[in-house]
Amino acid sequence: MSMPGQSRASRPGASGGSGPLTDAASLSVYARDASHLALGRPAAVYLPAGEPELRAIVRQAARERRPLVCRGAGTGLSGGALPGDGWVVLGTSRLLGCGPVDPLGRTVTVEPGLLNERISALARPSGLHFAPDPSSQSAATIGGNIGENAGGPHCLRHGVTLQHLRRLRWCDARGEPAGTGRGLPLERGFDLVSLLCGSEGTLGIVTSADLKLTPDGRSVATLLAVFPRLDDAVSAVVNLLGSGLLPVAVEIVDQAMLEAVEKAFAFGFPTDVEAAMILEFSGAAEETAGDAARAADLLRRGGARDVQTAADEAERLALWRCRKKAFGAVGRLAPSYVTMDVVVPLGRLPLLVRDIQDIKARWGVEIATAFHAGDGNLHPGVHYDDTDPEQARAAHAAADAIIARALELGGSVSGEHGIGIEKLHVLPWMLDAESARLHHEVKTLFDPQGLLNPGKLLPAPGASFAPCPEPPESVDFQWESLTARAPASACLADLQSAAMDRGLWVPLGAWLPRPAGSWGLATAGTVGEAVADLVTGPVLGGSGSVRDCLLELWAVTGDGRRFHTGAPVFKNVAGYDFTHALCGSGRVFVEMQAATFQLRPCPAHLGIWGLKTAGGVPLDWPALEPLLRRLRERPNQPGPVCLVDLEAPGGGTLIVTAPGRDTDWDLGALGRLVGECARQAGLECTAQAVVPFRDGPTELAARGLLPGWAAAGSDWDLLGLPAGAADPGQNVLPVRLRRAVLQADPWLVWTPESVTDPAPWFADAVCRGGRAAPLPRPAEDVPAAYLRGLKRIFDPDGRLETPAWLEEG
Amino acid sequence: MAPAMTDGMQTELRTLLRSCVQCGLCLPHCATWLATGDDVQSPRGRLILLDEILGGRADAAEPSFLAAFDQCIGCRACESACPSGVPYSLLEYGQDLAFAAAGSPAGWSSGPALPAPLIRRLSSVRFLRTAAAAATLASGLLRGLLGPGWRTRLARAPGGLGRLPRLLGSLPRSPSADEGVVRLLNGLIAAAAGAAAGRVEDPSPSATVGPESRVASPDILFFRGCANEGLMPGTSRRLLDLLRRCGCRVDVPQGQACCGALAAHTGDGRGREDRHRRNREAFGPGPAPADGGPWILVEASGCGHELKSVPGELAGEVLDATEILTRLSLPPLRPVPLKVAFHDPCHLRHGQGIVAEPRRLLRGIPGLELVEPAEPEVCCGSGGAWGLRYPDLSGILARRKAENLAATGADLVVTTNPGCLGQIAGALADVAPGLPVLPLTDLLWFAARKG
Ligand SMILES: Cc1cc2nc3c(=O)[nH]c(=O)nc-3n(C[C@H](O)[C@H](O)[C@H](O)COP(=O)(O)OP(=O)(O)OC[C@H]3O[C@@H](n4cnc5c(N)ncnc54)[C@H](O)[C@@H]3O)c2cc1C
Ligand code: SF4
Ligand code: SF4
Repeated sequence: MSMPGQSRASRPGASGGSGPLTDAASLSVYARDASHLALGRPAAVYLPAGEPELRAIVRQAARERRPLVCRGAGTGLSGGALPGDGWVVLGTSRLLGCGPVDPLGRTVTVEPGLLNERISALARPSGLHFAPDPSSQSAATIGGNIGENAGGPHCLRHGVTLQHLRRLRWCDARGEPAGTGRGLPLERGFDLVSLLCGSEGTLGIVTSADLKLTPDGRSVATLLAVFPRLDDAVSAVVNLLGSGLLPVAVEIVDQAMLEAVEKAFAFGFPTDVEAAMILEFSGAAEETAGDAARAADLLRRGGARDVQTAADEAERLALWRCRKKAFGAVGRLAPSYVTMDVVVPLGRLPLLVRDIQDIKARWGVEIATAFHAGDGNLHPGVHYDDTDPEQARAAHAAADAIIARALELGGSVSGEHGIGIEKLHVLPWMLDAESARLHHEVKTLFDPQGLLNPGKLLPAPGASFAPCPEPPESVDFQWESLTARAPASACLADLQSAAMDRGLWVPLGAWLPRPAGSWGLATAGTVGEAVADLVTGPVLGGSGSVRDCLLELWAVTGDGRRFHTGAPVFKNVAGYDFTHALCGSGRVFVEMQAATFQLRPCPAHLGIWGLKTAGGVPLDWPALEPLLRRLRERPNQPGPVCLVDLEAPGGGTLIVTAPGRDTDWDLGALGRLVGECARQAGLECTAQAVVPFRDGPTELAARGLLPGWAAAGSDWDLLGLPAGAADPGQNVLPVRLRRAVLQADPWLVWTPESVTDPAPWFADAVCRGGRAAPLPRPAEDVPAAYLRGLKRIFDPDGRLETPAWLEEG
Repeated sequence: MAPAMTDGMQTELRTLLRSCVQCGLCLPHCATWLATGDDVQSPRGRLILLDEILGGRADAAEPSFLAAFDQCIGCRACESACPSGVPYSLLEYGQDLAFAAAGSPAGWSSGPALPAPLIRRLSSVRFLRTAAAAATLASGLLRGLLGPGWRTRLARAPGGLGRLPRLLGSLPRSPSADEGVVRLLNGLIAAAAGAAAGRVEDPSPSATVGPESRVASPDILFFRGCANEGLMPGTSRRLLDLLRRCGCRVDVPQGQACCGALAAHTGDGRGREDRHRRNREAFGPGPAPADGGPWILVEASGCGHELKSVPGELAGEVLDATEILTRLSLPPLRPVPLKVAFHDPCHLRHGQGIVAEPRRLLRGIPGLELVEPAEPEVCCGSGGAWGLRYPDLSGILARRKAENLAATGADLVVTTNPGCLGQIAGALADVAPGLPVLPLTDLLWFAARKG
């Protein structure tokens, strides 16, 4: 893998190639990172030029029992990349390989040293980008983003780094190569991607990643609103998101931060206001214009003094530059500062903001804050002069008070910067003892010698931990925070129905034709089943799987210990991410007790188009392929879901369904596109309707569009397109199937037929559907020893299900 | 040279240094970091080293520290990128400290040394005229101009320019950069005229820069600059011609010297001061600009940066040629239907903060499509004498720059500094043979040509 313009030379004067750098300058420089913390002085620095070399270095460190820390760009803010005395630093700055962008699968494979911003630059010609955009994206590496599970302003709509990883290749503590599976969306199993992402290099070193790319919005509207009062700005965000609008980003900077930014960039922000908000919508032009106008109105009524729209791309970029460089600009405020990264449930954000004012007054400190407001994530920075010990003490006390308050409000100590060494003392405030024990056992399993970034992220064993919060006994909606907590036994359909009454839903499709000829939640009866089996159907407007909307989990280990992981917040990087790692792991490791989901605006309508061949010529896959590909190019929306039934009377039918708005520019435009594609494919439209979204299944049945599906059994196979599998122009449709439901983004196929001899690309069935289907054997690159070890940790006595493949060896 | 520091200075320096929040946002803009992937070779790395020295945790004379400071090109891309406003002068100071501690003049104590006489000659016009120095620049330029791909590239271009390659192909090789430019202009003229061959109506040297060109009560004083004068005198003459056609009264003060930058680069403080003195004498004590005094026009961005760095040094407002040209009303411009990528010389973009002006000038040419390369802020690795001392790094950077420029699909690259011109033309000859490079003012002159 190589890229133009990325050749590297060794440093003249230093030892050549990637051999260890041991000169005084290297050891001084690599002892530091953006955290301003200090740990020790390394013994050697390596900058390997390839994966084999990287593994050789890890192997050698393991042989010599020398601790090793992996370093991306050293922009981490919690000290993750800092070495201790005598450690080896393994820098990834020369691992810049990058595979071709796969526009069909919307993926790209990259090595860890590639800078975040470069990935989007590479994908731009394909109309795609890498959505996670930490403010440090111009300098931070993808390896570091994965190490910290970085977020960014645009993660509000698109999700954080974890939601953009399809699979990882990694090197374990012994220097052995490993993988995480097939990289199929909705792959079931103990999810090593979730475990490694955010593990701060303490479990393994990521050597390459298959990333999910996101289509660019056709049109973007960026608003700047200024608020005389910060309280109003924060409350306005809560109201705005509660109103059903879903901007791609909502950022706030407070007055102190504004002043710093103004000093740096002289953008012309007013500095006599308490807050400025940047808000962005992306999608079809009419959509963004309409949403932006609605938002502007809401903000004005919520106390905004002035709301302006960026006039052009240059102004838009300038706005974002100011926001993204705000952190760096605080260097202009005071010689030293502690920056926090707390996150609270959205509805509690106004409370925390008020409390921060009190804390500020009580400790007599200066605080400047930047908010990823839509996520409930904020970075209050306490500024002080570090030559004055009194000020330093007050600053740190104020910081701890803010963190404690965020936790009282149900939040987390870190939304994106991670624990590192910086937040080790506060991590136990939010972890229960059982969860902490699991952290240590997992660390010991992956790194028995304790050589990978030791002393980071893990809670101190003897600390006094938080009590395990009580799981909910019934479904509990926090409307202002846009979350729903529910016991495992709750009926998912009821939960959805209650949410839809408020225009919200958990964005899980989970609708498949049922044997009775209706459409409905296919197999997932309960919340627990949905979480354990990752059961989902075609995603009618959602972002993907249960994993993408799960925030918090209560579970019981095989030996009956209850623990809690995650938090009811939109992002959380405090400790190992057991929440997502266990999601989809069946009933093999733990038993699910309760879960918290994120709610999103529910689509208003569902467009339905029934098509069949004109003149009785039987439908076939080659004729459908170009049509299905074109339908997928809908701006900023998941591609339509298509039901293909080649056995239907009269030569077969194709039903196209898509969520959206009943407007000329949205479902109207899609209807015209469907019509045009149909004509080209020689199909005629037999039915066409726009119905309320939640009535979709019944409406389909009522129109007699599903007769053929009645015969389908309740067992469905789910097939996925592995990352990078599709050559451009290659036929990717399941040619041998007679009946299938297709979702084109991500490219997934559900079929009630038993897949015995599939076309090459989807040889891997992601899961055999049906309730309580056993957990499938993982792909070969997932090291069995680690899975068996995890089984021992979570179910030491083997009381839970144990698939045969887990017992082998 | 590192001055002896008072306690107050120490404190001030450390306060300044603390404005670096170590965020690392400068790294991807730093050429030496991009070329090596080594954090020591980054602005943040160098600032950390300075902090170590000032904090008494490291010895300034430590060779690896020296090497790190020495390899800084001085391009100042980090200063432009830094959100925290950390001044580049800190790095310069680190350099001074390290070299003072090592007991040798800044810039020349470590790394591959150049013979002292060569260094001295680097800053003389005569040297620049010699084949040895011109070779790097001219050969690169010519290979770039006359490579095989040039034909097909321009054949694609719309309008009469499509005929250009055929015309160029039959011309003999030229020994100097200046002639390369003339040949390219000839080709452009011929193609535009649909003729078999074009001819640059080159303004005569004496009429433009010679003693007889002096004018009374000028509104522009022309600073010649040794590199332009030595390597590309024709370009200067055409610029003068263009200015006069804009109705300017341009005077070329006689007796002017090199701006002093090259002496400064080689650690020759006295030499720099000497050049400054000679220029003060040549430009005289004219009225202050506020009183309607003449602008001092500087053609090469390196000189502009040097002259602007000593405020009040020359009487009059020192302005880059692009700054002056955007303020003038140009003669009617003819269409140049080419895709053009502009390369920002560091001395222009970072040294003088000039980014918009050259682009505005190019966009003002009818039919011209301006394309933006990736990493416009990254140094091309020429860096005056730096490139000669670190040829490996310089080569990597030149290639990277050429790849980024070529990736725009441009028909022509335009820049404003002769050093960059040669460096880029040389690399383009390998990366995108036939993609030519032209000084911005020459392209403007061509668009404004008479007849
Ligand atoms: C100005 C500024 C703004 C920031 N804004 C944001 C923001 O908006 N959102 C956000 O989330 N963060 C932000 N950060 C924090 C930081 O940039 C992110 O955490 C980033 O992901 C770190 O990337 P890096 O390449 O610098 O990693 P490093 O700091 O070098 O490393 C971070 C961690 O990842 C581990 N790691 C690195 N590479 C690998 C690998 N290949 N395999 C395994 N582990 C690895 C390291 O061991 C370390 O624990 C900001 C930082 C700064 C300075
Ligand atoms: S010099 Fe500026 S950009 Fe670079 S690390 Fe320091 S503060 Fe950040
Ligand atoms: S001046 Fe240029 S080479 Fe030197 S540190 Fe700054 S960006 Fe890097």
